[in-house]
Amino acid sequence: MPLTFIRTLGNRTTLQLKEFLLTMQEFFFFSIRAFTTMPKLRKYWRDFLDQATICGADSIPIVLVSSISIGSLLAIEVGNLLEEFGAKTMLGRSTALSVIRELGPLLMGLMLSARYGSRNGAELGAMKISEQIDALRAFGTDPVAKLVMPRLAAALVMFIPLTALADFSGLQAAALLAQHYHKIDPGIFWNAVYPRLVAKDFVVGFLKAPVFAIIITLVSSFNGFSARGGTAGVGRSTIKGIVVSSGLVLIANFYVSKIVLENM
Amino acid sequence: MIELRNVTLKYGEKIILDKVSIEIKDNTIKAILGPSGVGKSTILKLMLGLIKPNSGQVFVDGVDITNFKEPELYPIRRKMGIVFQGNALFDSLTIGQNFSFFLRENLRLPEDEIERRVCEQIKFAGLEGYEDQLPESLSGGMRKRVAIGRALIFNPKMILFDEPTAGLDPVSSKKILNLITDLRNNSGLGAVFVTHIIDDVFAIADRVAVLYQGKFIFDDVTEKLHESDHPFIRSILSDKILEL
Repeated sequence: MPLTFIRTLGNRTTLQLKEFLLTMQEFFFFSIRAFTTMPKLRKYWRDFLDQATICGADSIPIVLVSSISIGSLLAIEVGNLLEEFGAKTMLGRSTALSVIRELGPLLMGLMLSARYGSRNGAELGAMKISEQIDALRAFGTDPVAKLVMPRLAAALVMFIPLTALADFSGLQAAALLAQHYHKIDPGIFWNAVYPRLVAKDFVVGFLKAPVFAIIITLVSSFNGFSARGGTAGVGRSTIKGIVVSSGLVLIANFYVSKIVLENM
Repeated sequence: MIELRNVTLKYGEKIILDKVSIEIKDNTIKAILGPSGVGKSTILKLMLGLIKPNSGQVFVDGVDITNFKEPELYPIRRKMGIVFQGNALFDSLTIGQNFSFFLRENLRLPEDEIERRVCEQIKFAGLEGYEDQLPESLSGGMRKRVAIGRALIFNPKMILFDEPTAGLDPVSSKKILNLITDLRNNSGLGAVFVTHIIDDVFAIADRVAVLYQGKFIFDDVTEKLHESDHPFIRSILSDKILEL
């Protein structure tokens, strides 16, 4: 009996591993296809503009809300801590590093993973279930070039200004809180920010934007393209896309910081 | 024009099609009859190269397309139009845009030529006045006519129908079946349609192939179906609609 159980468990694990490797292989080719169809951007410039509006302009409110919240929170918490050590004037420096290097891009990535990723997953999943993606192929249109590549290009372009916006609004919120909550003069706050920031700090933050753009767009679109099993299947693939891309964003955030900070 | 030769298709360990062969000649209406989930729609997708068989070959106009890459398949697919079971219309585009979409995508035509062709198809589908409406505002029969019109946009030689009358009321079903016959009689357009409704087969098909448990158990002129003594065919002739 235990032997049968172990054998069944072994077979199931092997099957799942095989399935996982096949999915990884499919994802790899899907990603390559999304990049190699970039020259068709001229043909699909309208789709690119649509997607740029969706992931760019339309995402501004959620990016502002998240960055202002985290900037304010950092100013209060870190300010309290620094006050204990009599180093309140360092609040600008510590907040700037946290926001520009880590929290600004990370929160933006997570918010866009939920917003842009879920939209991609649900839209493409619904198209897959209703055979619209098969129809594109059947009538001679490459669905990856038409549907995924413009999304990827738009995210690559728009995530960088969104990161800048997240950094700027986060720091502005922190400066305001520093002034009104901790009674730190804005001049002192900003003086601790600007002169001390170095290229490395911006590289870490802004390098994350294209990395997150690639992860979020490709993972959510791939899951949409893989949807099966009716409307419930669309739900499953959308959730999977958000969960996987959010997890990968967190992992990528760590490694980008580690690699850049160790090598610059 | 289209031929499947010894085609086997598996999903995982499950064999969907087991060394099936079928030939569809130009200017004929051929039905593929079988119960739900037996792999009828899969055959249409194999014909278009949307899925690849595990073994066997697919020929279109004598050309083996089995191992064609996606871009090589595009000109082949334009020789055939397909009407999906759920129509697969682009729900965010208007009826007019659904007709013009693939013309703009695939052919470098002047705008007035695109408009001319779209008007022609809208007239053919009997949908004048509906150009600016979204598919969701149309009835099932109208949506099916849009899908047929769209399938004709590249002037194909053959049109593939996946359950063309499924979910339609009897009047709309009759209209769609008449449309398929008219296309063959007036434009010489061949058709393959998969169905589980045996009355549709007798209404319009010149030939019928019956798919059962992954194999074709009958492939001949429709009239000879009555002569078959296969138990499954005898049962469907008495029940008329295949429900599983």
